[in-house]
Amino acid sequence: MKHFLRVLAQFCVFLYCKFLWRTFKFVVRKVTGRCELQRICYNNKPGARRTLKIESSLKFSKSELLQSAVNVHPDLVEKTIDSIMALKKINPDTNPQLGISLQASLLQIVGYRNLVVEVEKLRREPYDCENLEHEEMLLKLWKTLRPESPLSGRISKQWCEIGFQGNDPKTDFRGMGLLGLYNLLYFAEHDKATALQVLHDSLQPKHRTISRGETSNISKIEWEKKKFDKAIGYSFAIVGINITDLAYSLLVSGALKTHLYNVAPEMPSLVHFQQTFCYLMQEFHRFWIEEDPCDIMEFNRVRNRFHKKVLKQLKNPDMALCPHFAASDLHLVNL
Amino acid sequence: MAAAAGVNKPGAGGAMDSCVRHGRSAAGSAVKVLECGVCEDVFSLQGDKVPRLLLCGHTVCHDCLTRLPLHGRAVRCPFDRQVTELGDSGVWGLKKNFALLELLERLQNGASNQSGMSEDALGGVGERIVRCDEDESHTASVYCTVCATHLCAGCSQLTHSTRTLAKHRRVPLADKPHEKTLCPQHQVHAIEFVCLEDACQPGPLMCCVCKEYGKHQGHKHAVLETEANQIRASILDMAHCIRTFTEEVSEYSRKLVGIVQQIEGGEQIVEDSFGMAHTEHVPGTAESARSCVRAYFADLHETLCRQEEMALSVVDAHVRERLIWLRQQQEDMTILLSQVSTACLHCEKTLQQDDCRVVLAKQEITRLLETLQKQQQQFTELADHIQLDAGIPVTFTKDNRVHIGPKMEIRVVTLGLDGAGKTTILFKLKQDEFMQPIPTIGFNVETVEYKNLKFTIWDVGGKHKLRPLWKHYYLNTQAVVFVIDSCHRDRLMEAHSELAKLLTEKELRDALLLIFANKQDVPGALSVEEMTELLSLHKLCCGRSWHIQGCDARSGTGLHEGLDWLSRQLVAAGVLDVA
Repeated sequence: MKHFLRVLAQFCVFLYCKFLWRTFKFVVRKVTGRCELQRICYNNKPGARRTLKIESSLKFSKSELLQSAVNVHPDLVEKTIDSIMALKKINPDTNPQLGISLQASLLQIVGYRNLVVEVEKLRREPYDCENLEHEEMLLKLWKTLRPESPLSGRISKQWCEIGFQGNDPKTDFRGMGLLGLYNLLYFAEHDKATALQVLHDSLQPKHRTISRGETSNISKIEWEKKKFDKAIGYSFAIVGINITDLAYSLLVSGALKTHLYNVAPEMPSLVHFQQTFCYLMQEFHRFWIEEDPCDIMEFNRVRNRFHKKVLKQLKNPDMALCPHFAASDLHLVNL
Repeated sequence: MAAAAGVNKPGAGGAMDSCVRHGRSAAGSAVKVLECGVCEDVFSLQGDKVPRLLLCGHTVCHDCLTRLPLHGRAVRCPFDRQVTELGDSGVWGLKKNFALLELLERLQNGASNQSGMSEDALGGVGERIVRCDEDESHTASVYCTVCATHLCAGCSQLTHSTRTLAKHRRVPLADKPHEKTLCPQHQVHAIEFVCLEDACQPGPLMCCVCKEYGKHQGHKHAVLETEANQIRASILDMAHCIRTFTEEVSEYSRKLVGIVQQIEGGEQIVEDSFGMAHTEHVPGTAESARSCVRAYFADLHETLCRQEEMALSVVDAHVRERLIWLRQQQEDMTILLSQVSTACLHCEKTLQQDDCRVVLAKQEITRLLETLQKQQQQFTELADHIQLDAGIPVTFTKDNRVHIGPKMEIRVVTLGLDGAGKTTILFKLKQDEFMQPIPTIGFNVETVEYKNLKFTIWDVGGKHKLRPLWKHYYLNTQAVVFVIDSCHRDRLMEAHSELAKLLTEKELRDALLLIFANKQDVPGALSVEEMTELLSLHKLCCGRSWHIQGCDARSGTGLHEGLDWLSRQLVAAGVLDVA
């Protein structure tokens, strides 16, 4: 019985999608005299709310032209808009705003897809010791983060100071490839104040302030142990790579659409992604301090909670994950 | 000395033979104690003088018994007049006194042996005993060199009492000069020389005539006395050798006896602290070995019994819990049923009432319906997630613990240097896909099901700073998987030191150790054998169960072999295929 009901419900949904939805759209169109895209553009403010709706509308359209519009090359967007207008029999002269709005939204949609491809390509590109460009970027990262102490060699124990796992940072870039390095460098260069703060915090572990009452309860040895565990704070570089992974998974899953459609007026680019990364680093650092985990082993738990929190934020279509750049770094950021 | 005795052996043997014969004939007279109380003749082993037993216990010889007067079919004992019934065969039917016969036989044998022994002793002495030439019954003690007679002290006085004779030189018998042997060819000359030519070795002795004119003319020669002394000296040497040799042999046989005794054990005379000697049972090595085996198996039995009890208690607890839960469910169901039936009753009652009341009862009915629906929902939810199955699947671990449930859970910790491939291996096992992971901060934990085992794998980050935190994951860990990057030779020593540190951990004392030599697919990677050699694993992991497995997380080769090894170590044989 139960099973039957479930099947029936699924069938109804299918029926609705297939016919009723279309009938409904047809009726509304006849009544208002506007097509769906027009309605969306007129009823919503520019931003994620509008673009998301347009995207789903295009995707579920029965017209092949509209369906393929989301995959079109950025240069052909204008032409596509014209043909959509023609198809929908909308006079560009009477609706001058529509073309512009549609074009902006479509550019965002196409740009997002291209961004995913671009980011994926960067992630796939492994760090290459032979490539001078890569090497230079790595050394630049060091110079930005530790301007006062020169690096003793390409392979050096000093890399651990900025939070790499071993003597050679190369091994740590295996999962995220160049994307990790790009993000770290961007963060270090454009949000130097926060980067240095995060690095400083990871190097100078704050000792948990244990109240008097608590001290009496635990023995001194235990306290020492806790202090020791506490001293192993998180490491800057590999946390950066982990957060890169977080940002990457947000981007690929499409959760970042909300943010990017709100932030980028036209095509979202790598810079936008890198800024998002900066935001995530800042927020994660704050979140870590708020959570106050008792040792680094809780990293994945904290990370998962942070991930959920960000996802929840991104559910809100007005959300934008804008990093708070310090005044000194602001001139570097070209929004 | 000993050589002389040895040389004389055959002669002594012959003497003994004659002695034994002599002893046998004398046996009758030797055993005179056991005689019949009536005729006072000696009992014999058979014939007329066989001892027969009467009912009263007295023993009379066969001969005397036949002479006793018959009283009907019975005879009276000549000593205490008790009556002994005779059978059809008369006196012949009475039992022989076998104890007495045995004693008789033994006495006879003993007597013959004894007499043999004494004769032997006598014979031994007889070698040196020389009869006095004056009187056969005397034993000579001196030798008169002039008269060439053996004399005893008495006869020596007697015969040499005259003045002339008293001057005769008499020496103790031991100093009696050897008699000179005369040459067989020249009867007047004594043998004085020995020929040294090889050709004359069969007859080397010669007198002065033989030497100068006879057959040994011009032969090389030596003086008889010196030659004899030489031979004597060599014999003495030999005797010495033989003595040491016999000592060695006897020492060895003594040792053998001792060892046999040690093995067999038995009574030994032991002096206690007060100097009192008493016999004590000393256990032999055979016995101690046996007791050792017994103790071991007793221990084993005990352990097994304990383990059985524990396993049974686990099963009992499981059954109890399950039954309690099921009963609880039963009760719940009964309550639910009664509630439903009450509701039904109520509804029925309402049905029969008039319209007004039905309308009034509407609210109550809806409330009832709501609760009913709620209960129904709860019931379906409950029925959804429990499967009714009476089976109790049981598996055994290698240490004889029992595990109830379809899957046996095993806790595994994956450790290793950073970048060795721990996370990659974990995800390859979990999802069978290769992905380049990001550096692990903290840990990842996944459960991997393999055969009927459920591995809970903790993958802890290998970053240098995290290594002190590994110890938090050791507790209750049944196996450690240590991953080593095979193509990173310069970090091998670091891996070695970390592994050595791991093996000293107390919590990991009983944990299995599986070493994955990862990245075998990369050209130039160390082979498993090289790795074993370089890390000196045999020495490092001595005394624990360990295994090294070459693997490649990219394609997944070797990973399941590793898990296979783990499961073989953890699960009792034959249980693996139960699933």
